[in-house]
Amino acid sequence: MTRWGMVIDLDRCTACQACVVACQVENNIPPVDQADSERGRGISWIRLAPFREGEHGTRPSLRLVPIPCMHCERPPCVKVCPATATVIGHEGLVGQIYARCIGCRYCTTACPYTVRQFNWKKPEWPQPMQDGLSPDVSVRPRGVVEKCSFCHHRLQRARDQARMEDRTLRDGDYLPACVESCPAEAMFFGDLDDPRSVVARLAAGPRAFRLLEELGTKPKVIYLSKGESGGDV
Amino acid sequence: MTSPDRDGAPDRRLAIAAFAVMFCAAAAIGFVTGGLRSPSVDQPIAFNHRKHVVENQLGCSTCHQFYETETFSGLPAADVCSTCHSEPQGKSSEEAKLVRLLKEGRPLVWNSLFRQPSHIFYSHRRHVMKAHIRCETCHGSIALTTSPPRSVKRLKMADCIACHEQRNVSVDCTTCHR
Ligand code: HEC
Ligand code: HEC
Ligand code: HEC
Ligand code: HEC
Ligand code: HEC
Repeated sequence: MTRWGMVIDLDRCTACQACVVACQVENNIPPVDQADSERGRGISWIRLAPFREGEHGTRPSLRLVPIPCMHCERPPCVKVCPATATVIGHEGLVGQIYARCIGCRYCTTACPYTVRQFNWKKPEWPQPMQDGLSPDVSVRPRGVVEKCSFCHHRLQRARDQARMEDRTLRDGDYLPACVESCPAEAMFFGDLDDPRSVVARLAAGPRAFRLLEELGTKPKVIYLSKGESGGDV
Repeated sequence: MTSPDRDGAPDRRLAIAAFAVMFCAAAAIGFVTGGLRSPSVDQPIAFNHRKHVVENQLGCSTCHQFYETETFSGLPAADVCSTCHSEPQGKSSEEAKLVRLLKEGRPLVWNSLFRQPSHIFYSHRRHVMKAHIRCETCHGSIALTTSPPRSVKRLKMADCIACHEQRNVSVDCTTCHR
């Protein structure tokens, strides 16, 4: 079975936010004005969350951790959705089907990673951007919830292409926009169930950990950091 | 005993009656003109599939050039028609109109009848070249029509799912939705 997953190497990440911008453009995410931003109504599918590290009295450090949807193996959002608008597929992608979403926002509350956002407004872009929207990703209407899709529209294209070439998908055929754009090469993506894949190898390494693992959500985004394994920070 | 309310009542009844008459008249006019209306989708030329496909044996890919290699099929640009219609082939007035349009160098902008919503991913090359499904399975007898059909049976989700289940293809929501 294929289990799509992501690895983010925090020891290489420079917090440049190229992934955030790439995601915004790839997925037709509208810009937000100041008033809405102040009310917490801006949308981003991947954000940088601040984590303070270091004991009191030692040299403090601030780490900015990129947080996309974790595509949990046991997703709390799927469990609470009363409309089956969010579902986990056979290859582990947690999909959001906007046409089915009723905007109740149970899922935004249930998600422990707070990666789900509600569309308070009809999305709008300033004119030159309006013409540059991607046709591969639908624009979400007002009143539905959205979140990181692991750019599954790229999987649709990649699978179509591979089938036309009469072959199966290769490691690297399908990469989300954030992974592709990372200038520090701190992000990896692939099939966690394929022991030969880069992500499977990294996820099995000593630096690997997951966010809020103790909740039992089984996230498929895996972080790497020396700090977690008890080495030098 | 009399109240302004009851004084106003006959007036209101009259107004309601007048409205009802006007409504019926409007509906009747709508019904008649609706019945006479030509295709619900406006096309620059009333294209005759039968004439080209059946009588002149043109393959679909003469005009829909991309279904073998792309996710979409494509609708023909003016230069495709120009290869045969820079001069009239017959006597039809529709063809005369086409020849005039082509001479003026105007682009032909066709409206798609089968358009799916933007949140759907669909691939022609996959269904036509790999699954070997015939055009008419999804498009009905459009290739036999003499003018653009007034209404077509657009594929609904249930149609996609029914075939996918039968042929053991994925029905995960994210297979088609995006
Ligand atoms: C000589 C050019 C030509 C040929 C050959 C031709 N078509 Fe078309 N087709 C058109 C044009 C022009 C339109 C757009 C106008 C219309 O809808 O009638 C069209 C429209 C269509 C549509 C509707 C698409 C949409 O969404 O509006 C279908 C389906 C279609 N053709 C199928 C076929 C099939 C199947 C064949 C082969 C059996 C074929 N066509 C051969 C020119 C052609
Ligand atoms: C390969 C040559 C060829 C191409 C390409 C072609 N046609 Fe034709 N077309 C014909 C022939 C042959 C006739 C029949 C003329 C006749 O007998 O009246 C015809 C007839 C027509 C007629 C008259 C139909 C009728 O009902 O009598 C129209 C309108 C027309 N074509 C439109 C188009 C358009 C629009 C295109 C481009 C999308 C196109 N044709 C492309 C060969 C072609
Ligand atoms: C499995 C179903 C299916 C089959 C088989 C199929 N189509 Fe389609 N076709 C569709 C759907 C669905 C759309 C609408 C696609 C969209 O809006 O993205 C479409 C759209 C079209 C269009 C509109 C323009 C475009 O660029 O897509 C044309 C033309 C067309 N088909 C021609 C054909 C021809 C010719 C064949 C046979 C060679 C064919 N189709 C086979 C389902 C099918
Ligand atoms: C008549 C049968 C039939 C119909 C109708 C049909 N499909 Fe398919 N579809 C197939 C088959 C068979 C395949 C597998 C093709 C192959 O061999 O690669 C497929 C594959 C696909 C795939 C790729 C699946 C994957 O696992 O990568 C997508 C996406 C898809 N279809 C979308 C649609 C949509 C959207 C519709 C409706 C608008 C539709 N299909 C209607 C038979 C059908
Ligand atoms: C094989 C392709 C396919 C799959 C799989 C699929 N859908 Fe759809 N879906 C479509 C197509 C095509 C449409 C647009 C046509 C229509 O409205 O029926 C659609 C439309 C919808 C709509 C809007 C219907 C309306 O009336 O506006 C909803 C809601 C929906 N899908 C939910 C889902 C959910 C939830 C799943 C997974 C359980 C799913 N779909 C799986 C192809 C698919």
